[in-house]
Amino acid sequence: MNSILKDLLRKALDNGIVSSVMVPSKGPGNSFPWTLVSDVSALQRAEPVPPVMSVQGAKALASFTQSMPEGKLLAVMRPCEARAAVELSKLEQIDLDNIILLTMDCPGAVPLGEYGEDGITEPDINDPATLRPLCRQCTGFTSAGDLCLAMHGGLNAVLPLTASGQELLDSLGFKAEADISGWEEWANAQRGERQVTRVENMENLKEAYSGLQGLIEVFSGCISCRSCRTVCPICYCRLCFIDMKDRRSPASEHLERSRNGGAARLMSNTLLFHIGRMAHMSLSCVSCGMCEDACPSDIPIGRLISMVSADTTAVFNYSAGSNPEDPLPLNTFLPEELHEYED
Amino acid sequence: MPVQGARALSDLTITEPLNRPVAALLRPCEIRAFVENVKQTQGNLENIFIISCTCPGVIPASKLLREDREEILKNHSENIRNSCGACLEFVPGQQADMTVLVASDEPHKGTVIYLHTEKAVEIAEKLDSCTLETGKPPAELTSGILEARKKALKDLMRDIPAPGDGLQSLVSLFSACIGCRGCREACPLCSCILCDYETARTLHSPELVRTEAKRKGSIRVPAGTLQFQLGRLMHISPICTSCGQCSDVCPVDIPVADIFIRAANLVQESLDYAPGRDTDDTPPMATYVEKELPSITD
Repeated sequence: MNSILKDLLRKALDNGIVSSVMVPSKGPGNSFPWTLVSDVSALQRAEPVPPVMSVQGAKALASFTQSMPEGKLLAVMRPCEARAAVELSKLEQIDLDNIILLTMDCPGAVPLGEYGEDGITEPDINDPATLRPLCRQCTGFTSAGDLCLAMHGGLNAVLPLTASGQELLDSLGFKAEADISGWEEWANAQRGERQVTRVENMENLKEAYSGLQGLIEVFSGCISCRSCRTVCPICYCRLCFIDMKDRRSPASEHLERSRNGGAARLMSNTLLFHIGRMAHMSLSCVSCGMCEDACPSDIPIGRLISMVSADTTAVFNYSAGSNPEDPLPLNTFLPEELHEYED
Repeated sequence: MPVQGARALSDLTITEPLNRPVAALLRPCEIRAFVENVKQTQGNLENIFIISCTCPGVIPASKLLREDREEILKNHSENIRNSCGACLEFVPGQQADMTVLVASDEPHKGTVIYLHTEKAVEIAEKLDSCTLETGKPPAELTSGILEARKKALKDLMRDIPAPGDGLQSLVSLFSACIGCRGCREACPLCSCILCDYETARTLHSPELVRTEAKRKGSIRVPAGTLQFQLGRLMHISPICTSCGQCSDVCPVDIPVADIFIRAANLVQESLDYAPGRDTDDTPPMATYVEKELPSITD
């Protein structure tokens, strides 16, 4: 583990400034489960930046923070996980009041299916072949949450991003970094490169899968395992709209469809599910790529939703997870808006 | 097997029985799973004419997606799922109306169809260019495959952790689980609209999670990975038809099906229950017998 981060976590727990730390740890085999650590000695197994993303950090955080009655929690997570946590707090699934989010310059993650002794063992930020497709085109790879561990451009320091981040550093006696220009330069250059990849990928996707026929094609391999939904930090509903009884088609309707079209696909709600999910979560999508990682059919679903999200968030001038103060677009009523979409 | 056939047939018939005859092409494990669906009021057999086959097994989806497709299809029998390799019930039971001979010890010429019902005989009258037989496919046609499968099942039962191996072996087995619940969603028998492990009754409260973290020094979050797997094992093992769909869908290659097949074999033997054999067999968990299972109660 990075020595500065180690020092910070240890001191924060030891001095009682936080009562627990949430961080990935080394588990049995090649697993990296999230752990909620209350005892300093358990930090020995911590792996703050594991090679894979096994569970999206915001999802892990939401599993026990709908209410935060006592003591502060320090959560160490990737920038996309911190952004998802911010979205989940707006959706009232996480109470961020007593939570400090610490992120880092994220190297990206190895695809779950390719990680292992015979495969890729470490993500390399400079080698896209070692990264998940969404990580390759990620422009939000640093500077999210309250604090950020900066490890590039000649820097190795935890930088405060918010007042509560600053407060933590002050209480631990961590001094402010005087010169962060080298790191900023690195981040800007990296962001620029990623942006080019991102735009290029989106253009290619749009060309390949635009229109209804394109969507039918890309989702034809879907086996309805719903893993994309389950692993998505933003899809938090306990019972999804698609699983409700009133979504079921009567047998006669299936037969009718089959007769009209010559044949009809059973599990006929595949496309409705995916389009419905995009409509529900694309405004809060943080492009973490968890859905694509979990898909057993290798559908580029993360890249697709990220592309849709770029368009839907642009309509509302919204950036998912960036600012806790920005209200959710669909929770905001403006008497005058979106005239360009009328008629 | 992209979607287990029973799931598709359940999707078709869950709200009402079919009002017109429909022929369904199903593998034997799909038939058995659908029979269990019917018992749980998740489907209806009315007006369904079942065409099945002596099943050669299926290839794991990930293999077909990520490896040399042509090469794998050429060597079909060497590339089938673990669960298919250890499947003893690859010849359809009494629910099928007709069985097409696909898997057999010796290569056979042309299409050979076994007719099991009057309806099948009636339909087959219009078929030419097929060899038609009545009754079940003779056991000797597939006895070699059966022997090989029996050996594979024995190996599977030996190699997968046993209850005596303790909690730690299960923790290790499921440590890489990402909680995607794909195994549950792909399972034709996990038909609950809201899973027990998504309910407020079963989810761990924030207070409990934090208390446990304090007590133990650290805990895994989200909590309940093993609880979910063991719970599903308990709910499904009496009726599991060993189709292997759960392993196929797992993005981190946990041998879920092997674990379920092992448990299902032991549980079904002690309950003297064969899932999918007959719609009239009552599910063991829905049956009360005053005196039973003395071997377990003492």
